[in-house]
Amino acid sequence: MSNGTNGIGSGIVAGTALDEDGLSLDELVRICAVSREWVVERVEDGLLPASGFASGMTAATDAAIWRFTSRAVWRTRRMHTLERDFDAVPELAALAADLMEELERVRQRLRAAGLE
Amino acid sequence: MEFKDYYATLGVPRDAAAADIKKAFRKLARKYHPDVSKEKDAEATMKELNEANAVLSDPEKRAAYDQVGRGYRPGQEFRPPPDWDAGFEFSGDGRHGGDAGDFSGFFEELFGRAARSGRTGAHSGAHPGAHFGTGGGTGAAGGTHGRQFQARGQDHHAKVLLDIEDAWHGATQQISLRVPRQGDSGHVVIDTRTLNVRIPQGVRAGQLIRLAGQGAPGFGGGVAGDLLLEVGFRPHPRFRLDGRDVLMTLPVAPWECALGAMVPVTLPGGGDIEVRIAEGTLSTPGSTQGSILGGTPGGIQLRVRGKGLPGDPPGDLLLQLDVRVPPASSARARELYESMARELGFDARANQEAKP
Repeated sequence: MSNGTNGIGSGIVAGTALDEDGLSLDELVRICAVSREWVVERVEDGLLPASGFASGMTAATDAAIWRFTSRAVWRTRRMHTLERDFDAVPELAALAADLMEELERVRQRLRAAGLE
Repeated sequence: MEFKDYYATLGVPRDAAAADIKKAFRKLARKYHPDVSKEKDAEATMKELNEANAVLSDPEKRAAYDQVGRGYRPGQEFRPPPDWDAGFEFSGDGRHGGDAGDFSGFFEELFGRAARSGRTGAHSGAHPGAHFGTGGGTGAAGGTHGRQFQARGQDHHAKVLLDIEDAWHGATQQISLRVPRQGDSGHVVIDTRTLNVRIPQGVRAGQLIRLAGQGAPGFGGGVAGDLLLEVGFRPHPRFRLDGRDVLMTLPVAPWECALGAMVPVTLPGGGDIEVRIAEGTLSTPGSTQGSILGGTPGGIQLRVRGKGLPGDPPGDLLLQLDVRVPPASSARARELYESMARELGFDARANQEAKP
């Protein structure tokens, strides 16, 4: 196992914020450890938002212009976990993810209002 | 290293059928789902459940675990016999879709090593004819057994908690990570790795920060994976965040609202700005003119554009005006209140019915 880049506690590593619209399909797939097909299917079915996607697109020719947000990373992992753990159909996992995101927004607003 | 009783974690007997294990896991996964659960330590419990399920739901891993775990009690010091995994070929990458570092040292000791060597191809053919489980055998690892096998290292994930000031200025944050490593004895050792990370300015809650090349090392000359940090914020006594918008309460005197005033506000970054409160703010709650965002049942909110967290675009500063009423603690103050009561004809409860 060779490894030239992982210094132990040496120096300062510069972090890059993933831009809101910055992730390509391949990057999303890698970060979330899911298959490309899995993501493509859910984008095409409208369960996973990608900017640059319009219905009728085919992944083979158009996926290169799709971009995903940081938010899509959480959604992808959430949906994938739900499908895996509960054998949920993709639409049900997406529905649960919708509700969790809504819950997050509401909790955030509560916190912002100083109520939680 | 402590022995973990995965059967106890899921609450199933050792001879439980696969269907019962699945059912038990689902029941608990629902109860402890970290996004929804009100249970304490839901996240930690969910990790334990995932780990137990990753082993017990996989016939190969379950068989290996049963064999090596015979006679151990939970919490007992565990040391696997040398070459205990001879005869086991773990397909896949030894994980269950989870992230590196999510599973315990115990799991890494049992399955991490075999999984890793399986991926590099070093395991290939070492123990011929002794494959457990599904018919996939060595092929199940997905063509990773070639001599020229090269792969990019896995991405690692971690959370980082920041103060609002860190996002304002950018900051250097020290983070510690648990990293499994193959020690001299061949067993897996967990190292603690410390990194000084430069946090970029203007990061938001939920955003990912990428540290290129700081994930797991690559195989066969492949590049290392990335380390991805999820940003969260510690609560702040004065400021709250909504994306890049900064919210705070600004105490004001009634006449500052009525007559207009310039009010100093200290920003999270330490700088001071002067916020203009327009004349008549008090008399027109609900107006969206000027900088008044709107009257709310709790008071009046002002939006100061571009004075939230820096970034492109920067967030706004949202000021919730808290109108403080002066005490009637002196004779003069009482006099003033008396003349207001007499002359203003103000009814504090006049609009109660009219409000939607």
